[in-house]
Amino acid sequence: MTDPISHDPATTPEVASEERRVPSSQPILLRAVTVGGIAAVVVTVVMSVIGWCVDGGTGLASGALGSVSAFVFLGVTAASILVSNFFVQSDFYVVIFFGLVLGSWILKFVLFIVAALLLKDQPWINPTMFFISVIVGVLASLLVDVFVVAKSRVPYVGDLSKDRAV
Amino acid sequence: MSVLAEVSGNIATVGYGLAAIGPAIGVGIVVGKTIEGVARQPELQGKLQVLMWIGIAFTEALAFIGIATYFIFTK
Repeated sequence: MTDPISHDPATTPEVASEERRVPSSQPILLRAVTVGGIAAVVVTVVMSVIGWCVDGGTGLASGALGSVSAFVFLGVTAASILVSNFFVQSDFYVVIFFGLVLGSWILKFVLFIVAALLLKDQPWINPTMFFISVIVGVLASLLVDVFVVAKSRVPYVGDLSKDRAV
Repeated sequence: MSVLAEVSGNIATVGYGLAAIGPAIGVGIVVGKTIEGVARQPELQGKLQVLMWIGIAFTEALAFIGIATYFIFTK
């Protein structure tokens, strides 16, 4: 007579460690961060060139800083969900998840307000160019997010193993 | 003509306060509904996470642009 408990994959340590599972959203978030990084480089270069044409070195710095800050601050959301999903096996997953996601959310806004106060009166910043770069960066980041989600295929039920791509 | 009330400083800060109400309510609804959804159907956690993320991205973008208006609305 076989013992059902000893053959249960969930109770076998080596099988449980091999089948480390993450939520099925993980590949999509990873792709969003990756594609967002590539888009950030492209938009930063474009806005820097436009800034250089408009206001020389000051415009270049403003264009680069504006677009980089937009992509970084909007990318933090996906990155924080991505990181917190690694703790999905933990008993404190819900606490860790919302602590990281909403904690990073409030932190980035505080940082951006402080950055705005510090940068506003700097002589090497063109405020109008900075603002336009932020708008362009935000719109480009949202476009990337929409593109990634529209192209994603999430299984209706269940989670994926760690190495499976969607 | 007598002045009954006077506002000193930049009125744009009041505008940002008003602009922040929408994203605050939006993110609250998105996260709250995701919690409800996962509580009802835990197996949908991954799918709901993606929807929550795209919802947060769009609502927080408004707040982000609102803060950035500091660069053009102040002298």
